[in-house]
Amino acid sequence: ERVKHWQGGAGYNTHNILILLCGSSLSLQGFVELTIFPTVANLNRIKLNSKQCRIYRVRINDLEAAFIYNDPTLEVCHSESKQRNLNYFSNAYAAAVSAVDPDAGNGELCIKVPSELWRHVDELKVLKIHINFSLDQPKGGLHFVVPSVEGSMAERGAHVFSCGYQNSTRFWFPCVDSYSELCTWKLEFTVDAAMVAVSNGDLVETVYTHDMRKKTFHYMLTIPTAASNISLAIGPFEILVDPYMHEVTHFCLPQLLPLLKHTTSYLHEVFEFYEEILTCRYPYSCFKTVFIDEAYVEVAAYASMSIFSTNLLHSAMIIDETPLTRRCLAQSLAQQFFGCFISRMSWSDEWVLKGISGYIYGLWMKKTFGVNEYRHWIKEELDKIVAYELKTGGVLLHPIFGGGKEKDNPASHLHFSIKHPHTLSWEYYTMFQCKAHLVMRLIENRISMEFMLQVFNKLLSLASTASSQKFQSHMWSQMLVSTYGFLKSISNVSGKDIQPLIKQWVDQSGVVKFYGSFAFNRKRNVLELEIKQDYTSPGTQKYVGPLKVTVQELDGSFNHTLQIEENSLKHDIPCHSKSRRNKKKKIPLMNGEEVDMDLSAMDADSPLLWIRIDPDMSVLRKVEFEQADFMWQYQLRYERDVVAQQESILALEKFPTPASRLALTDTLEHEHCFYRVRMAACFCLAKIANSMVSTWTGPPAMKSLFTRMFCCKTCPNIVKTNNFMSFQSYFLQKTMPVAMALLRDVHNLCPKEVLTFILDLIKYNDNRKNKFSDNYYRAEMIDALANSVTPAVSVNNEVRTLDNLNPDVRLILEEITRFLNMEKLLPSYRHTITVSCLKAIRVLQKNGHVPSDPALFKSYAEYGHFVDIRIAALEAVVDYTKVDRSYEELQWLLNMIQTDPVPYVRHKILNMLTKNPPFTKNLESPLCNEALVDQLWKLMNSGTSHDWRLRCGAVDLYFTLFGLSRPSCLPLPELGLVLNLKEKKAVLNPTIIPETAAGNQEAASNPSSHAQLGGFQNPFSSSQEEEEIDMDTVHDSQAFISHHLNMLERPSTPGLSKYRPASSRSSLIPQHSSGSDGTPPTKPPWTVELARKGAGKEQSPLEMSVPAVPAAPLSLFAKEAAASKHGEHRRRHEHKKKKKKHRHKHRHRHRHDARERERDREPFAFSSPASGRSARSPSLSD
Amino acid sequence: MADTAASASGSGTRSGSKHSTNPADNYHLARRRTLQVVVSSLLTEAGFESAEKASVETLTEMLQSCFNVDTLPAYAKRSQRMVITAPPVTNQPVTPKALTAGQNRPHPPHIPSHFPEFPDPHTYIKTPTYREPVSDYQVLREKAASQRRDVERALTRFMAKTGETQSLFKDDVSTFPLIAARPFTIPYLTALLPSELEMQQMEETDSLEQDEQMDTENLALHVSTDDSGAEKENASVLQQNPALPGSRNGEESVIDNPYLRPVKKPKIRRK
Repeated sequence: ERVKHWQGGAGYNTHNILILLCGSSLSLQGFVELTIFPTVANLNRIKLNSKQCRIYRVRINDLEAAFIYNDPTLEVCHSESKQRNLNYFSNAYAAAVSAVDPDAGNGELCIKVPSELWRHVDELKVLKIHINFSLDQPKGGLHFVVPSVEGSMAERGAHVFSCGYQNSTRFWFPCVDSYSELCTWKLEFTVDAAMVAVSNGDLVETVYTHDMRKKTFHYMLTIPTAASNISLAIGPFEILVDPYMHEVTHFCLPQLLPLLKHTTSYLHEVFEFYEEILTCRYPYSCFKTVFIDEAYVEVAAYASMSIFSTNLLHSAMIIDETPLTRRCLAQSLAQQFFGCFISRMSWSDEWVLKGISGYIYGLWMKKTFGVNEYRHWIKEELDKIVAYELKTGGVLLHPIFGGGKEKDNPASHLHFSIKHPHTLSWEYYTMFQCKAHLVMRLIENRISMEFMLQVFNKLLSLASTASSQKFQSHMWSQMLVSTYGFLKSISNVSGKDIQPLIKQWVDQSGVVKFYGSFAFNRKRNVLELEIKQDYTSPGTQKYVGPLKVTVQELDGSFNHTLQIEENSLKHDIPCHSKSRRNKKKKIPLMNGEEVDMDLSAMDADSPLLWIRIDPDMSVLRKVEFEQADFMWQYQLRYERDVVAQQESILALEKFPTPASRLALTDTLEHEHCFYRVRMAACFCLAKIANSMVSTWTGPPAMKSLFTRMFCCKTCPNIVKTNNFMSFQSYFLQKTMPVAMALLRDVHNLCPKEVLTFILDLIKYNDNRKNKFSDNYYRAEMIDALANSVTPAVSVNNEVRTLDNLNPDVRLILEEITRFLNMEKLLPSYRHTITVSCLKAIRVLQKNGHVPSDPALFKSYAEYGHFVDIRIAALEAVVDYTKVDRSYEELQWLLNMIQTDPVPYVRHKILNMLTKNPPFTKNLESPLCNEALVDQLWKLMNSGTSHDWRLRCGAVDLYFTLFGLSRPSCLPLPELGLVLNLKEKKAVLNPTIIPETAAGNQEAASNPSSHAQLGGFQNPFSSSQEEEEIDMDTVHDSQAFISHHLNMLERPSTPGLSKYRPASSRSSLIPQHSSGSDGTPPTKPPWTVELARKGAGKEQSPLEMSVPAVPAAPLSLFAKEAAASKHGEHRRRHEHKKKKKKHRHKHRHRHRHDARERERDREPFAFSSPASGRSARSPSLSD
Repeated sequence: MADTAASASGSGTRSGSKHSTNPADNYHLARRRTLQVVVSSLLTEAGFESAEKASVETLTEMLQSCFNVDTLPAYAKRSQRMVITAPPVTNQPVTPKALTAGQNRPHPPHIPSHFPEFPDPHTYIKTPTYREPVSDYQVLREKAASQRRDVERALTRFMAKTGETQSLFKDDVSTFPLIAARPFTIPYLTALLPSELEMQQMEETDSLEQDEQMDTENLALHVSTDDSGAEKENASVLQQNPALPGSRNGEESVIDNPYLRPVKKPKIRRK
């Protein structure tokens, strides 16, 4: 088993002290003390993670220590580079992230151990690192919410909280920002006396400062915890001690206490549930929930506390939000056990934690909402992951990056690297979690739930034993879970070998696609089942193994387990019953129930009622199965499994017959039927009715049904006054009109009768006697109105005015206007009605009834509106941008992505633009131009460095718009060859691109020149003997880092070379360090601006570095530069030769080259940026 | 006798009119005078020719105090009754005749004609209605719905007219006026908090729920005393605390939650 330890300093970080002082205006002063036990002698530099922080002073055991700050992720590729292909960017970005990856022993902050302490280190004695830093208006990691009203910060409800995607703690204090580096914590926060600081662990005491205007909150976290699981929330919170569990405390913003009381009143049940199934107490001594505004994500779990969006709070009158909020609470609590208390060994073990927490959350779902809801959810998740994998080419749970050779790069189909969480597309990560949970469920299917829970219990009890121990080098690693350890635990507990399962679903990406059909052989009384697989499409894999098939015959339901093998497509399944439908007898179902069926519809010769493939969803698959319409109808009516019912509803869409209609109507009416199935039946019925429009008899579908269920007996056109006590019928009542509005008559218009019906529902809606709010119901009525809208009949492109407004639309508009205006006076919960109105207005615009105009939406999208409204409005603007191809709106959106105060909104805009792009890589569009390319490039390259999620979102958008290769709208390089850039597969042909780039004389900036640069600036070099960079291991910008290391190193310490990041490649920014002389600098040691400016000027490295570090002797720079240039040249030379051969041989393939070689090649191959202009271009443009 | 009585009453009236201008006093005097006339006529009927003023007074008092209304109609219709001449009209009320509705009813025969006329019919006659009162469910719903709609429409139109608006049509700003979107400083408050009306409802349901909770938790108390497991007992005791009405004030001292503890003074201060 691997033993994890932090390599950054070749030691263990065992205890941290963090002290933060909150200033008055969005700034913090901080002090952090790390206690480190060296594990090797010769430890002379320590690497930590830190972003945004302004570091004033670093001391080790009270001695001033020199440090360098370098963050290659600030600007991934250099601004002068004209390289614009995403492939290049993704590689560079992954390398940049690697270069600061704490799990690989890297970090942005490199601290040199003072020479006075070397002896001390050699004796492996403890080191205490003190860092003074400040944080001024951070752009990521900590989010400040400061409403602009009168009053003090507390009166305004101002608050701040930590946030981020994966390990983002480095954004607010220097630390080892890894999930695998555990230590104990002492945390102190000094805040305004009116504020409360909530953080991890136990609140020991709260003490006033001497002036009594501030308070200091002292926290102790004795359970070893990774820095990434440390969090903070400060605000004028209202405090609620949980009435059921006094060690649980809830916090919310002022005025929301009644909502908080109601919302959290359920939490203790979740606690009880998890503690019971895991037979393990909640590991921390306390738990805190904090509800904050402008949340980064709805739920974020940290050690002993969870941060939630304040929008999850609700009163007892709200139906729809209640289950959603409870699910969020339960999810966060599951992650407390697996994710916070038990952390992961490395990124590739993430799936175990997400899987387990998702799995126990699923068990809670099953218990709380019932088996139907659970199965429905599993099916939903399965459909989602299948759709995503087929679309993108696969989600890999356990990527292995062995040996650096990546001939079979596991993620070659993706436009981002999956080597780090920070390079992942957000959507991919969401799907990753979804798949992890489903796979965990497959493991359960295999080894039984009992064993599964035993394994979890074992993991937890080992961890809790370890957590109570004082620091011992290997003990705490019991609190980290690895794939290996987890699998070993499973085999120990269950004695079963699940290796094939793991190999199939964990070590390999893709899902299975089955096509099934059958024939009944009457003579042999055998069902001949044919199951084909598609394993050649992207995102698919071949399945070999058992597959369960359930056959419902007249005599009962029978399970068969087929062996899916390499070449066998056909499977003969003997039938149990002869066809004999004349005999009147009840038919036994799978669950033992016996029912009467009208068998007149079925095939007289066959005893088969219906067939299901993989009914338990024990394969991650998509099944397309062909059976006759009557079989689907029987399945819908009589199969008791909700998943089967849903599948049959989906299948019946293709059979618009009176029999299908009847089956659906009966389902809809059947009160014992699961409400979600009934809701699905509504929409299917609408589709069928539309297909049958010429033969449809009677009133519009569902109308009489709705009247019967929800309208007054005496006056059928008036709906009963609202009573939502029965949630099932509430959901049905909400959904039926929405589905009905989709009905179309022979002219493809919504029948007048239906529209009048919906308008009447709105008119007679009366909620006065209802215990619950009807805001969601009214919102859905507006959705129904929107659904009824059909394209306007346009005569010679006339301008849309009031005069030519369709009378039906006039009625609709009347309602929307009134609703939207009433919202201003009596706002509904979460403004659901405004949201629906905005959506409806966009539908009217799109269908040409109302002039298309984004002005209204833009005003609703402004900061200061409720987030749901903003998102709805932005969605409309995104749609407008696409439909009207508006450059102006696109710019407006892009501007918002960069400037909006709410990270979630910025993320959402990118996300919506990606889902509904103004153009795609295969389409010509006037919007696609060079300026836009530059703008987006800049956004992902440097504009989003403070938010991993946002940067990945920008990458997604860039990919959607331009694909992997150089955007086609860019002009061809002046001196380049004529190249075919329109690639068929959107796969970069590396033999072409470098030529393009090489020919581009403008491409001047490159990472390797930065590598040269790095050397100039290091003031340490003055006191150290210089060492030539080992060019065999150092590439591109990575040279920079290594170079620094060399600078920092003691004279030739051979043992250290292995700590040198050998697998990273990145472009870097120039930076400089301070403090080498032992005195704290008067000015901040670095700023982003300076760094960028430097990068911009970098064509002349010498010029640039001189002003940056004026104190450093020039001669040294020159020498250093010469040394590294020399190295570069040598390497280049070799490569030129290699390269030529290479290109001739593999002109059209070699994406999957070993990464090492690719990296080697990269400076030349991928770009001119990597190559200085003088030396290389001639050779490459041959 | 009657004369003296009459004269006496006459002088009384005169003195009354002299001394009092007050209509209430006037009324009392008139009433008393009438009663005296009645007593005198009764005495005349009974055969007396004269009576002393004092005895007439006494009889008047008696009549006033013990007056049996029930027997009155029969008595009034006795055969040998005496009709008293109309007393001199003093303050004839002048009623404006502006409003007349229907026919004034004539006096029934047993009421002397000098008695005041019946009031105008509209004051006591049932006015015939032209519509049945609404009791039909459908109509009620219809009415409530259209009323609400009208109010909402009028209100929103008013708001739109008095404030900034947005419009969906460039050529027309008045047909579908939308009240302009205005950002809030704290948007989540309006979005999450129920309106005052809803809040009221919620409090009602809340108090109901609280009652229920108390019931169940009191039950839990009984259950827990039977329970032998010490751990469980502790847990349930903890649970009851917040629900016990008596402990509500002292709750904070019972619950040991670090966030409820008082903030400490800085150490140096204490020294």
